[in-house]
Amino acid sequence: MHQTAGRGDAIKHVFMWPAFLIVLVVTLFPLIYALVVSFQAIRIVPPLPPRFVGVENYADILSSARFWGSMWTTSVIVFVSVALQFVIGFALALALHHNVPGANLYRVTFLLPMFLAPVCVALIARMIFHPYLGPVNDAMSGMGFGNIPFLTEPNLAVAVLITVEVWQWTPFVTLLMLAGLQSLPDEVFEAAKVDNIPAWRRFRDITFPMLLPLSVAVIFIRLIEGFKVIDTVFVLTGGGPGTATETLTLFAYNEGFKKFNLGYTSALSFTFLIIVIIVGTAYLAAAQRVMRRYA
Amino acid sequence: MNKLLLTAAIVPLAGAAMACEPDYSGVTLTVSTQNGPFIASAMAMAAQSWEERTCGTVNVVEFPFGELYPKFLTAMSQQTGEFDAIGFVPAWLPDFAPFLSTMPAELQEGGDWEDIHPVYRERLMVWNGEVKSATMDGDMHMLNYRADLMEDEANKAAFMDRYGYELAAPVTWDQYYDIAEFFHDPDNGRFGTAEAYRRGGQQFWYFFSHAASYTNNPNNPGSMFFDPETMDAQINNPGWLRALEDYKKGLDFNPPGALNNGSGDVRPLYAGGTVAMNIDWADSGVLGATEGSIAGNVRTAMLPGSTEIWNHKTGDWDTFDDPVASPFLAFGGWQLAVPADSENAEAAWDYVSEVISPEMSGIAIVTANTGVNPYRFSHYENIDNWLSVFTREEAESYLGAQRASLDAPNVALDMRLPGFFSYTEVLEIELSKALAGEVEPQEALDAIAAEWNELTDEFGRDSQLAAYRASMGLPPM
Repeated sequence: MHQTAGRGDAIKHVFMWPAFLIVLVVTLFPLIYALVVSFQAIRIVPPLPPRFVGVENYADILSSARFWGSMWTTSVIVFVSVALQFVIGFALALALHHNVPGANLYRVTFLLPMFLAPVCVALIARMIFHPYLGPVNDAMSGMGFGNIPFLTEPNLAVAVLITVEVWQWTPFVTLLMLAGLQSLPDEVFEAAKVDNIPAWRRFRDITFPMLLPLSVAVIFIRLIEGFKVIDTVFVLTGGGPGTATETLTLFAYNEGFKKFNLGYTSALSFTFLIIVIIVGTAYLAAAQRVMRRYA
Repeated sequence: MNKLLLTAAIVPLAGAAMACEPDYSGVTLTVSTQNGPFIASAMAMAAQSWEERTCGTVNVVEFPFGELYPKFLTAMSQQTGEFDAIGFVPAWLPDFAPFLSTMPAELQEGGDWEDIHPVYRERLMVWNGEVKSATMDGDMHMLNYRADLMEDEANKAAFMDRYGYELAAPVTWDQYYDIAEFFHDPDNGRFGTAEAYRRGGQQFWYFFSHAASYTNNPNNPGSMFFDPETMDAQINNPGWLRALEDYKKGLDFNPPGALNNGSGDVRPLYAGGTVAMNIDWADSGVLGATEGSIAGNVRTAMLPGSTEIWNHKTGDWDTFDDPVASPFLAFGGWQLAVPADSENAEAAWDYVSEVISPEMSGIAIVTANTGVNPYRFSHYENIDNWLSVFTREEAESYLGAQRASLDAPNVALDMRLPGFFSYTEVLEIELSKALAGEVEPQEALDAIAAEWNELTDEFGRDSQLAAYRASMGLPPM
């Protein structure tokens, strides 16, 4: 019996190691390779021989005003848009959960933006906010506000990017929060109704705390995804005017695919990874504290 | 009867033997360029014709534009022999030239060779004295305007009253802005002109088109972008400043939101009749004549010039009695080359000669979506070939403007330098800031000059200087 178990252990390793090695090669090798490249000066254009530069690329990044500018832009877009997505998405989920008239129609309509490719969303937005042909400016002109440079004035351009993010990703929040609402036990709410607890308190003291773990997860997903925004920015503003709407990913794209500055781009990617890890960790720590308070 | 049957049997055989001329049976060429239809469809069209003539085979491999440069450079520098012919942009020639074969001598003679305009044949296709590539597409910026507005008698009289000279295609930038102002009528949905101002929308070529007039000094050849003796950036000199101020002034006569317009937006604005003029490559004219609302009224002129050009040596303006035209060969047009590591170099050059032959290119220039623009004398002279696209007046104007641009003694070549996109990216960022009013024009140009000088040092000043001089047709120092 003991011998059989020993042989079984050996076979376990035979099955496990190839899979482990494949995962190692497929997942970790690119990361390790990119990490190594990030400590080198490698340019394809013009071709320069690779040179070990230590942390010079990282130092350059941290002292670059353009990096901090793109960091600020990304943060504004992500935090404002995710906050709005959550508030609006939760509100819509509550409305749909309470079967407002036409709920089925709304359910389908609200989800549509999420199914569109971000590039399509950006193209639609570009037409809508077009200074000359777009309906928004038509309406503004009709109301006597004149032509508003939505995509060429830095603050307005960021506002448009936030609007587009909210429009596209609120349905995602709605969908998950609605699923969460539908999974809540009816008995609790019925008991609250019997006790004549008003709707606002039912939301504050029952619905919200019970959905808090889901809310934390939804916001976390949206935060991480939000930091990757590039397609809508690329199509809508190209990062301009100047670098006013350039996000971290667009900055990395420009360095990597326009200037082919590979060492610097790798360092940017790792800096970006570290930022996302820091933001994610800080968020989860804060969320845990909030959940403990409600527990 | 037997003789007749024999003859009938031999004729197809003889025909088949003649079809393989030269005989490249069993040879498969891999040729590559950007995703179609533009350029790739012209290469595919020639591939079919080459296959019929030589019995060889051609695989046209397409990649997104952004991937072309690293793919080609990596393949050639690693000697993989992956590509037999490549379609690329002139700005990359400095980096590619060491890995390219030289065009065979027999292709550099005869009527077909002489038929290529010398600006392409002797300047853009040549690197360090050797012909390394073949132009398959002619490109330059031109001024497009509408005949229905510019040739209208009432407009002419009103313009004369207001500005004191004849309304005609502008020969100076001041005239260009006068005309733009004259036709600028936003209340009625018409705007003076359209240019690209968007970062990432090819804006820098539009800026260069203005700058050429003030900085491409015929007394100091090759001094537009850099000092050809020291490689110091010239982009913050008073000539460039005037160009930027001009370029920015144009925003007043563009449709609203022009800061977000790329070259792709400029074309329909002209073709749709929204603007009286625009500056663009040849595409605007074709679009206007074929799909726009101004068909029949498309007119094309050489870019405006200037009577003053900055002299970086004297640090002063050189003045000229008549406006000096400095038409700018923005982009310069797609080129074909054969990598030195190709195992089928002879066949590949034969294929290249097929693509650029007067017959094949003559078809490509008038075929929709090939993206091929004229570059041969025969392209400019054979007006009848263009009548499927333009009216005769339009064709004469369109071809005349291109030919005049190439023939202009002070024609300005585009910047071709290793690290081209690093230089232009810096330029675009600062340019956008200046156009948006975030920084003063001089401040933006000073920032660009400083960063260009840093890039030059990083890439190696001596090697960059040598490349720059070669790109401008200047002898090595």
